[in-house]
Amino acid sequence: MNFELTEEQQLIGQSARDFGKQYLEPIAVELDQKGEFPKKVVQALAKHDFLGLLLPDDVGGAAAGFVSYVEVIEDLSRYSAAVASIVNNHTIAAYSIQEWGTADQKKQYLPAMAKGELLGGFAIYEHGPTPGVGADALVATKQDVGYVLNGKKAFVRNAGEAGVYVVFATTDPALGAKALTAFLVKADAIGVKVGEKLETMGLKGCPVADITFENVVLPETALLGAVNGGAAISAKALAVASVAEAAQTVGIGQAAVEHAAAYAKQRVQFGKPVATLQAIQTLLAEVATDCHLARLGLRNAALLIEEGKPFEVEAAMIKSFLVRLGSKMLIDTCQVEGGFGYSETMPLPRLFRDIAGTNLLDAPGDFPEKLIAASIA
Amino acid sequence: MPKCLVCYKWTLDEQDIKIKSEDLSLDSSRAKGKISDFDRNAIEEAALLVEKDGGAVDALTYGTGTVKQSLKDALSRGPGKVYWVADASAENADASVTANVLAAAIRKLGQYDLILCGEGSSDQFNQQTASRIAALLGLPCVTFASKLSVEGDTVNATRKLEDCQEDVSVKGPVVISVLSEINKPRIPSLKQVLGASKKPNEEIKLADLALKPEDLQPRAVRKSVRGFLMQRKNVIYKESSAADNVAKLKASLASEGLC
Repeated sequence: MNFELTEEQQLIGQSARDFGKQYLEPIAVELDQKGEFPKKVVQALAKHDFLGLLLPDDVGGAAAGFVSYVEVIEDLSRYSAAVASIVNNHTIAAYSIQEWGTADQKKQYLPAMAKGELLGGFAIYEHGPTPGVGADALVATKQDVGYVLNGKKAFVRNAGEAGVYVVFATTDPALGAKALTAFLVKADAIGVKVGEKLETMGLKGCPVADITFENVVLPETALLGAVNGGAAISAKALAVASVAEAAQTVGIGQAAVEHAAAYAKQRVQFGKPVATLQAIQTLLAEVATDCHLARLGLRNAALLIEEGKPFEVEAAMIKSFLVRLGSKMLIDTCQVEGGFGYSETMPLPRLFRDIAGTNLLDAPGDFPEKLIAASIA
Repeated sequence: MPKCLVCYKWTLDEQDIKIKSEDLSLDSSRAKGKISDFDRNAIEEAALLVEKDGGAVDALTYGTGTVKQSLKDALSRGPGKVYWVADASAENADASVTANVLAAAIRKLGQYDLILCGEGSSDQFNQQTASRIAALLGLPCVTFASKLSVEGDTVNATRKLEDCQEDVSVKGPVVISVLSEINKPRIPSLKQVLGASKKPNEEIKLADLALKPEDLQPRAVRKSVRGFLMQRKNVIYKESSAADNVAKLKASLASEGLC
């Protein structure tokens, strides 16, 4: 396998870094403090084709491929993981429509999503132990024509800003997740109510909220994929998303180690820069190594996705690796900067919160090791 | 509608160059290439002119074999076609050699209304390429342009000088060097990056430029390049009187010609 990026992939990564420097770096601190949705930045993302990166050109997308996508997410995350998370959640909704939508659904939604005129959201989680189970479970009841949705989805990212949600509901509460079915629900459909924005620890600016569905009437054409085929859709879509989330973690880790290295070069102790001390060198070297290895792992998984090959085990591996090491990267880089690194005047606390958000919210408590173990034993 | 040609240089990204502490020599083994910063302004200005008034933009570059890495980057920024001269002579080329090669290539390509260059290159910053090309081609030259517009065959430019601004107008064809403040180079969108692969590029062989051996002989020879490091001298004056300490500090600074 060749891990060298093509010229186009390198230039796309450079565009994302330049975009991050110009548009995200100046707002990252304010975004973290105020948590307001960055509308102008999202418009700029669309202008540079980042919101239609994976979509084919016949719907106005850039068709740049999944390797380019993870490059972009990593590079955006170096400046603002919250903005990268907005892009990720939009993209996974667009990806789902592209993969499982009918020709009419693609025509209806994807051109506007590629242009950024319509933001996407992905509503899978519920307050119960698994989607389709529990008192608040979202239930789709079959009518003579179409369905009626009642219930609640939890922790929906881009909530309140998205114009269309990919929503998973059970068609049979007795079967729970086994009868999970995907629907496309417009944000302005009667009965869709976005709850209060959840105050989160990190990734502030990417809105998170519950969405309540009260007698939401959907036509048959709102069905995404097959009836009771939602579990397979969500499994694949979330596996794809987990690779992008790994890129988010690597971007945050890279930003942290670059900041810590710059700090260590200018911080003088015992008459010389602390970057020359072995203890500091070890911390920096370990984080840089973790980032490098994770980057290779996620490029591997991304290439498998791009080539249409099985990728789920590799995606689970990179997810497992980064859930273990993501927070450690930030602890180690904070150690390099000592008391200053702990200060809110430095970016590390924000990066710490963002990496927690990426690992806890974007990559919820499933069990990637189960899939990995099953592949070898 | 102006026909523009932008000359650019493919340089090493200075952020990737390390200074070796033992002898202050430069380690560029892991440095990536980039289009020289000021040349990006020249490309952007030509692209903006053509987007506003119509016309066409081509690009031209001269460098070592690595210059081929620049083509898609250049094409993603607006030019419709890029011409490139790749030759080992570029490794040690000074401003004279660079201008000789570029001017010969321009003669071969035919007439352009505007030939734009950056104010200077990111690496050597000699600020001579535009003036030398103009002299070699017998064209007027406008340097340090901070504002540019085209009306028919007339080019209007504002030159920013040390203590004043100068507005000039000149009939094309003309060679222009632009300042970095003239614009903010675009961030190529993903479609522009991917579209660059579909645009044409053409190699111009150095052998086809009818240059004499002396045209490729640098007149200024670079003997070495060394970085410099800010280092503390760790001198502490411990006289009992503050006045004595100040006097010693002053004498020390004077001995180094600093006061």
